[in-house]
Amino acid sequence: MEINLNAIVIICGNYGSGKTEVAINLAISQKKKGLDVAIADLDLVNPYFRTREARNLLRESGINLILPPEKYMHADLPILAPEVSGAIKNPAELTILDVGGDNAGAMVLAALADSFSIGNVKTLQVVNPNRPNTQTIDGCFKMKAQIEAASNMSVTGIIGNANLMEETTTEHIIEGHAFVKEFSEKSGMALEFITVPSFLSEEIDSSDFSCPVLEISRQLVPPWKTAADLKV
Amino acid sequence: MGKILMKGNEAIGEAAIRAGCLNYFAYPITPQSEVAEYLSKRLPEVDGVFLQAESEVAVAYMIFGASGAGERVFTTSSSPGISLMCEGLSYVACAECPAVYVNIIRGGPGLGGILPSQADYFQATKGGGHGDYRLIVMAPDTVQEAVEMVMRAFPLAEKYRNPVMILGDGLIGQMMEPVEFPDHLKTEPSNKNDWATTGMDTRKSKTKNIVKSLFLDPAELYKKNIILKEKYDIIKEEEVMYDTYNMDVDYKMLIVSYGTMSRVCSTAIDLMKADGFEVGMLRPQTLFPFPEKEIFAAAQKESVKMLASIEMSMGQMVEDVERSVKGTRPVEWYGKAGGEVPTPEEVIEAVTSMYNKECA
Repeated sequence: MEINLNAIVIICGNYGSGKTEVAINLAISQKKKGLDVAIADLDLVNPYFRTREARNLLRESGINLILPPEKYMHADLPILAPEVSGAIKNPAELTILDVGGDNAGAMVLAALADSFSIGNVKTLQVVNPNRPNTQTIDGCFKMKAQIEAASNMSVTGIIGNANLMEETTTEHIIEGHAFVKEFSEKSGMALEFITVPSFLSEEIDSSDFSCPVLEISRQLVPPWKTAADLKV
Repeated sequence: MGKILMKGNEAIGEAAIRAGCLNYFAYPITPQSEVAEYLSKRLPEVDGVFLQAESEVAVAYMIFGASGAGERVFTTSSSPGISLMCEGLSYVACAECPAVYVNIIRGGPGLGGILPSQADYFQATKGGGHGDYRLIVMAPDTVQEAVEMVMRAFPLAEKYRNPVMILGDGLIGQMMEPVEFPDHLKTEPSNKNDWATTGMDTRKSKTKNIVKSLFLDPAELYKKNIILKEKYDIIKEEEVMYDTYNMDVDYKMLIVSYGTMSRVCSTAIDLMKADGFEVGMLRPQTLFPFPEKEIFAAAQKESVKMLASIEMSMGQMVEDVERSVKGTRPVEWYGKAGGEVPTPEEVIEAVTSMYNKECA
């Protein structure tokens, strides 16, 4: 099964659900497939480990990257680049909006509401069942409701991102898939894809799952680790 | 409960609850505001109190009040916020009240920036506030160790009736790692009725407990200082914690590094080992008390030619390393500050060049 996303994809979810890693890896994978890809860093709430940390990789891969001005890159201020609304009105074949965590992070979407016309917009909730607050289906519903209230938009789909970083095992992936599948059935939202860390990709048979699989190669690493080179 | 993935700041908040601390006073500041955010949701679930104060100065005295009344209490902040608390911290230390402070350090001096730093080493270990007082200072290198240290900090603070500080650089607060929580601490502060203002009725006592830091009689204040010094001397003997890396070989050089900086160093040590250059590392887990004797002993090994203090600051811990080796080996410093974190490659370059200069 192939990931089939186009026009505007909004990536939201609770803090630390892995939105940014998903957004970066999705952008690269779709660029590799030949799509024209843009990505905007709308994370106004997180001070570290944001899309902007992978800016060289994304730019060198030919992805249109929309960031706050360079001189405000490390400002502790909620800066929304004016180019964002333009990118929404005239989207690339795939335009990914990487939104900050929880309802606080999703609030930025309400400010952009005017830019979203009736076009093709998917709002996807990233779920990692190994994070506090989304360890139960109820917790995922609660997070969905909070994001919807803050953003004034409906969450339309799910991305399963079950992981414990380097300590992720195949059991986490299998149980995580069952968990988001149940969330999808109970909510009526589509399960767009699940993720598998690249170090487990050989142990996982993607045909076992009810949805496409995105391989994740961690990009936002601490200074003592080196990120795998994903350049397109 | 198995492992879950948590941001350091969230894990610190959860660890305090599991240590039986249900009083949290704080004021938000990047990069540690997630502690307050997490506890604003979590504390009401366990009948705890989170009060967002009007400033860090107010926080410092809310802590004094709660601690003086015998309650487990803690706060979290980042560098400029801790500076504002230092007056109250000195009062708390003088009045011998137990309390826990977490400093998730950002780049300084001044208002500085929001990226990680270790530049509050002096502030934490040498004072910050006024007068002859000391904090017990612990520095975790992983989110898991941050959890363990927070849970250890409360009983330690109560054992010595002394403030304890957890010193984490911004990365400790912001990074996510898998963590496992130990069981809740069951114990109550055991001796609080002997000194805290817990109420005459509760204590069924005729004598009043008075918590204060004002001593107008110099003889009385001198006596207080002697009591404090004797306490700090015991802490120096009893509470040193440290970890080692690659010290079971004949290392030529000894790195002293703490917190997440030590994780950059261990990557560098692995790479240098592959190149045939053996470097050991001693990682202080307590910065006060400082592992002086252990560093001295590690430096006396015949193969050791020199030591390097590697810090995210412009040469602070190096003074304690120099003091520890008592002139028996050369000691050099390498570091960066202001939010820049040295890479393993930069550490290798610095270490190799200081070794070649000093020992070739």
